[in-house]
Amino acid sequence: MFELGKKDGSAQDADRASGIDRQESSRSGGSETTAVAGGGRGDVAVIGRSIKIDGDLRGEEDLRIDGDVNGTVRLHNNTLTIGSEGKIRADVFANTVIVDGMMEGDLYGSERVSIRRNATVLGNITAPRVSLEDGASFKGSIEMDPEAVKAVLGESGIVSPATSSKAGSQEDQADKAQNAPSQSKGKANGEQHAAQSKGTPNGSGAPRDAVG
Amino acid sequence: MKTSRATAVVTDTSADAAAFNAPLFGALLKGLESGGRCVVLDLGAARAQTVTLVSRYRCRLEIADLSSGLEQLNAETEADRMLQLADALLPAPRDEPIDAVLCWDLLNYLERPALKALMARIAVRSRPGTVVHALIVYAGTHMPARAGQFMPIDEHSLLDLSAAQSARKAPRYSPADLTDCMTAYTLERAMLLSNGMQEMLFRV
Repeated sequence: MFELGKKDGSAQDADRASGIDRQESSRSGGSETTAVAGGGRGDVAVIGRSIKIDGDLRGEEDLRIDGDVNGTVRLHNNTLTIGSEGKIRADVFANTVIVDGMMEGDLYGSERVSIRRNATVLGNITAPRVSLEDGASFKGSIEMDPEAVKAVLGESGIVSPATSSKAGSQEDQADKAQNAPSQSKGKANGEQHAAQSKGTPNGSGAPRDAVG
Repeated sequence: MKTSRATAVVTDTSADAAAFNAPLFGALLKGLESGGRCVVLDLGAARAQTVTLVSRYRCRLEIADLSSGLEQLNAETEADRMLQLADALLPAPRDEPIDAVLCWDLLNYLERPALKALMARIAVRSRPGTVVHALIVYAGTHMPARAGQFMPIDEHSLLDLSAAQSARKAPRYSPADLTDCMTAYTLERAMLLSNGMQEMLFRV
């Protein structure tokens, strides 16, 4: 298993040995704003184009992948960018996922998943917010039901059920009360709902097929 | 009630793009408002505007992007293998049935056996009442060599993004032709559109 996020000298030495480089966000093209959990340094770790990784990749800082990764990527509080030369065959769990390269696997974003125009994606997306640029090649499914998104993200562990299940349950009840007379769908303000709905629902509103 | 979560980032436009009213597309969307959670299968390529429009409903959008597999399906001669190939071209089946299918222009590029196989496999993944919205070449004798790309502008109109390209003879499937091939479906409505295509609503 590969772990990112250790900031001491030995970790940096290990990174160099393994081909993982850390660079300031301005060097990565500046196209995305980074927010590093804990450190707040604005650094982005980079897996270079010549690097291949097989296994479970975990971390607590933003990461850009320009190489090949097979396995699983977990950056629960951070942003993962799959660069235009990146090739991922993995299920990805992150706060925000930006895909500009090739991706085969399921994408779970607790905040957002963004598919850029040059991306090739084969897999399923679950996130409160999804953007897809025309020109992108995409085959798979995009979960757009806020209840299902909550359920799947809760089950995946990307959103803590312990801290959000109560809120989720209260939201579900409020939703039911609000929607009951008309049985209408969706939410009046999807963005607001998405921002508030990081949790596991109480089950009554769960989708028939919650896990992507 | 509608939500708006997905974002269209880039609008694809070309000189040949042409908007047209598609009332039956509006009827399909209207149907999504009347129930609970739903599953929408788009047989065409992923379009930002489709994602944005469908995100207003409580649904899962499945994108099959069949355009690259049409020739392969047509080339298959053995019936069972054709069914298997049709299955392979579609998203992996789940235990949640499809509620609505967007089938814009693709049927024009399938020969009858392939059309029959594809729609049979979709019917298996559907529930009674599933709606299929299809665009079929009707008025013209020829059509672009490759299936066109369409995207919704709003709930009642679509945009044809087909670029100028060489033409091929259109099969000009009639409603009777299609119902013969799609035995699990009944034709509910058909309308001739301003662009010479016919839009059809089928129901499982």
